[in-house]
This record gives sequence, structure tokens and C-alpha cells, in this order.
Amino acid sequence: MARRSIRRELLLVLLTAVAVTWVATVIVSYVDARHELDELLDAHLAQSASLLVAQVGRETDEIDVEHAPQLHRYGRRVAFQFWENGTVLRLHSANAPSSRLSPTMDGFSDVDLEGKRWRVFSGWDADRHFLVQVGERLEVRDEVVTKIAKNLLWPLLVALPALGLLIWAGISRATRPLRLLHRQLEGRAPDNLAALNLGEAPAEVAPLVASLNRLFDQVRVSMDNERRFTADAAHELRTPLAALRAQAQVARGAGVDAERVRALDNVIAGCDRAAHLVDQMLTLARLEPAGFRAAFEACDLRELARGEIAAIVPAALAKSIEVELASGSPAFISGDAPLLRILLRNLLDNAVRYSPSHTAVRVRVGEADARAFATITDQGPGVARDERERLGQRFHRVLGTQASGTGLGLSIAKRIAQIHGATITFDDPAAGSGLEVTVSFARRVEAPSRVLA
Amino acid sequence: MRVLIAEDDPLLGDALQAGLRQRGFDADWVRDGIAAELALAADTFVAVVLDLGLPRLDGLRLLSRARARGVKLPVLVLTARDAVADRVKGFDTGADDYVVKPVDLDELAARLRALVRRSRGDPAPVLELGGLRVDPAARTVSYRGRPVELQAREFNLLQEFMLNAGRVLSREQIEGRLYAWGEEVESNAVEVHVHHLRKKLAPELIRTVRGVGYVMPRDQGSG
Repeated sequence: MARRSIRRELLLVLLTAVAVTWVATVIVSYVDARHELDELLDAHLAQSASLLVAQVGRETDEIDVEHAPQLHRYGRRVAFQFWENGTVLRLHSANAPSSRLSPTMDGFSDVDLEGKRWRVFSGWDADRHFLVQVGERLEVRDEVVTKIAKNLLWPLLVALPALGLLIWAGISRATRPLRLLHRQLEGRAPDNLAALNLGEAPAEVAPLVASLNRLFDQVRVSMDNERRFTADAAHELRTPLAALRAQAQVARGAGVDAERVRALDNVIAGCDRAAHLVDQMLTLARLEPAGFRAAFEACDLRELARGEIAAIVPAALAKSIEVELASGSPAFISGDAPLLRILLRNLLDNAVRYSPSHTAVRVRVGEADARAFATITDQGPGVARDERERLGQRFHRVLGTQASGTGLGLSIAKRIAQIHGATITFDDPAAGSGLEVTVSFARRVEAPSRVLA
Repeated sequence: MRVLIAEDDPLLGDALQAGLRQRGFDADWVRDGIAAELALAADTFVAVVLDLGLPRLDGLRLLSRARARGVKLPVLVLTARDAVADRVKGFDTGADDYVVKPVDLDELAARLRALVRRSRGDPAPVLELGGLRVDPAARTVSYRGRPVELQAREFNLLQEFMLNAGRVLSREQIEGRLYAWGEEVESNAVEVHVHHLRKKLAPELIRTVRGVGYVMPRDQGSG
């Protein structure tokens, strides 16, 4: 099936509209002209009759049944009869029959005579002595009106094709920006996301171009992100893999059992680390798309924190780090519970990972003003102020730390915070060294916008 | 042969150190750029394995600063950055070799040996002097066609003498090249090793320069 074409459709609609309007006009004109012509010619008939009565009435004594001469070629189409007392034919035109033109004695009538249709006016003189009947062939009227209608119709036949050409040219001109758009889009390499340029695009096409350009921009940003992430990920995966390979090779070449066992332990630790890195990368990749949809519901931040603290305690205790949740009341926010758990887990994991042994990690959950917050405070080395800005950049690890983080935990936390319209801030703890991380949510009753930019 | 490893990843650094030690190198390991820079100033290494993404001082900056200071040590860059532009930049900054992670430890050791050979101006993989033949890759020694069994430390010392034939090495220099930091060094350890070498090979191979150190003469007589 042929595709719909704006040009063809417009052309068809416009031409049909023009033709229908035109024909309707012709019909109306035809009816109207017929009516006017009838009135005009009827008046003429009546006038001719009265003229005949006036002229001939006085002279009837001198004339016998007589054939009036024919003076004009149209005369054949007009006939008259002059009847005395309505019974004796005294005068008639050459083309009139000897019987009465019309049986009607008064006014207008339409009659058939020898297969022809006539319009007849019958009238009497003042004494009602003489009857005059004047007839006219109806076909004359038909001819005139048909001629008028024809004269109105034939320009349409000429005009329609001309109009069609004009409309075609006009539409072609108007749709040029569309063809230009097509040419610019056609053969475009998939990675060519440069803005379209149609110059002065008309009002109907400009929004389309603007939308396309906006889409191109979004795709470019997301592709850049993807590309950077892939490059970063490849880079970040190589080192753990290199470590695994090298440790395995050390194990193979080890001269004594102790050395081999140590290297193999390192291989296992390296595998765990690589698995964790992959998990984190997948989590981040899942959260990354611009249109990520979170499922918001009412969540108790405190309850979520309690669960995550319970999960991390074994690892903390292994490093002799205490983790505690300060007493308080529930803090409800609107959020995506699984995502919030990941956020809290990453913050807790960082706190425990970077804390030295025999220290404590304290968690406070509460509400202040119109916000709900969770604060995690550790007694680790802390992070220099000018370094805090870079926290949360992908694969950025704080320098000089011995812990083997993936450099993704805070990126994930920040992204989840962003999805919730929450903020993450870093402060010095009230006393001693360490870092105080606060994630703060607006306590909205309704969910924040579901699709995030 | 003592090499410096500058690598911030704990598992990889550990493996490089252990692996290079297995392959006959004395390997010291630092985890950040500043520590690496300080270590380079000590001039006890024959080569450096340098990671580029080092904390505190980036590997490339460290390298360009070291080259600007006149450090001529062969530097092998070991990194995850594999783009051609990165490699070119690495070489142009002063790297002698550029290896993308992951790397085979045997290959790494071979590359290091090659770098050291070239830096000494002697591309032959086997060191020969008089009747003495030292194969650093196989870690075997023969004297006048007869295989000689040496302990690891003795082998390393002999290798140092051969690499520096004709040059007098002080006891401190030798200690610096044979022992990692923090290793306990007996005050007469060098004398003991030299003594063993003379006994296992030939007494005249290593001469004592009283009050200065030891030297292995370049032209060993045939007798």
C-alpha cells in the first residue's frame, strides 16, 4: 500500500473543495437564473399579450383569420392567437395552430403542442370580448439557462488543472523543510549527534527540529556517560585482574607452602574484591540511565538503617569496630526502599572500611524542620575539606588510604540521593577525627517526580 | 638486582613484590608517588616498575620530575591505561617500556632484565667475563665450563660485580643493592659473601681495594 502523502492529500482535498464549491455555485446560479428568467419572460409574455389586445382589438373588423408575418428568426419560437369570445380565431401567427394554444383561459399555463413544450399567457381585453393567447417555446428558456450554466462551468475545467499545479507547487515549497530534514537525517552516522540546522524553519517544523535536537543532546550526554563509564570500568577492572593473575603466578612459583598459601589467600581476597567491584558497577549502571524509575512508597528511614546496621555488624566486629544506632523515633520519608538500603549500606560500608580498629561508627536518624536525615559518623582519618568535593566521583578513592574500596560506593549513594531529591553532605564530627556523612531528605507527603532527569 | 615497585593496589603490589623476588630480583614496594620519589633519590635500584595512577603524585608527573632531575634508571610503566595516546605520552615522558595490566610475571622479569642490560650498554643476555659466565634469566653460573652452585645472595652479588666490572663498589653501595629496606644486615655480611664467591670461583676474580671497597677487574687473566 502506498504511504499517505501530505502533498497528495492536500491536493485532493483542495481540488475537491474547489470543484464542489464551484459546482454548487453553478447549481445555485442555474436555479436562480432560471427563476429570474421565468419571471422576466413571463412578464414579457403578459406584456406582449396586453400590447396585442391594445393594438389588434380595434382593427379586428378589418382582418379575417390572418397569418401575422414572421419578423425575426426567434419569431418561430413565439406564437400568438387572437380569439373572439374565446371561440373564433381572428388572428394568429404563422407558427400558431388553429386550435387554442392552451385550454386555460386566464393567466400562465404550460402545454404540450405537437411534441413541443410551450409557455402560454392567456388574457382578455377590457370588455372580455377578445381572448389573446401568447405562447413561447420553453426550450428557449432552457437554452439560455443551460448556456449560462455552461459559461459558468467551463472555466472550472480550465481552472482546476491550473489550480492543481499551483497547489502542488505551493505544497512542494511549503514542505521543503521536511525534505531538507530528511536529507540531513538520512545517511547520518549513528554517532553523529550534531544539531540539525534548517535555517529559518517554519513554525510547523521548528518544534520538530527543536525536539530532535534536544533528543540528540540527551542521547549524546548519555552516550558520553556510557563511554566514560566503559573506559573507567575497563581501567578499574584491569588492576584487580592483574593482581589476581600475579598472585596466582606467585602461588604457582612459591617455593614453600606458607608462601603458596598466602598467595592463594590473596587470590581469594582478590576474587571477592573483583566480585564486589562488578556488583557495584552493575548497581551504578542500573541507576545511571536518565529516565530511571523509582518506586516510591512511605519508608521509615530508621527501620532501614537498623536493618543495614545489623547486616554490617559482623564485618565491623571483625575489625573491632562498634556500630550503634542512637535512640530516636521513626522518620518517614517517601522513597524507594531497596535503593535507600543500598544507599545506607554504602555509607556504612565506607565508614567501617576506612575506620581503624577499636573505634565506633555512630548512626543517628531523625527529623529536623521539614527534613528527615540519617547521619553516619566515624572516627577514621576523615577527609580533607578540599578533597570532599571530589567524593562521589566515579572511581575516585581518597588518597593515602590503605583500604581497598572500589571508588564507587559514594557514586552510588549520591545517585540514589539524587533520585530521591536528597542531599549528601560531609562534615567534621563534633569531637575528634573522622567524617560525618549526612543524607537529608525533604519530608514530602507526595512522592517526588517519578521520572528523573 | 634491586627494583622499585610503585603500585597503589595492595594485592597487585604484593604480588609483584613476591613474584619478582621469586624471579631473582630484590624488590621494594612503595604505594604512592611521594614515597616513590623519595626512594628514587636513594640510587640503589637498577629499574623501576611504575604504576601511573598513583596517589599523592601521579606516575607520569613523578616520571617527568625524575627525568628532569637526571635520573637515568630504566623505568617500566605498568598501567591499566591502554590507549595509544597514553602509551605515546608514557614513552615521551621518559618511560623505557610500557606494559598494560595484566602482565605475566615471567615476562615482566624478562623485560626488566632487558631494560637493565640495555641501560648498561650490553645487550647480551648472558654476562661473560674471563671464564665466568652468568645467566641472569636462568640464574646459573659456570666458571671455565664447570657449573657453580651459588646461594641467592651470592648470585646477586656476583651479578652486581659483573654489571659493574672495572668499577669499585663500596660496601655501603653493595649493601644498598643487595638488601631491602629494614632488612637486618650483619656488619660483615658483604665480606662473608665475597669470601664465599672467591672460594667457589677463583680468589683473583674479586679484588679488595683497601679502605674503599671491592672491584672485579675488566680484563681477567687467563690464569
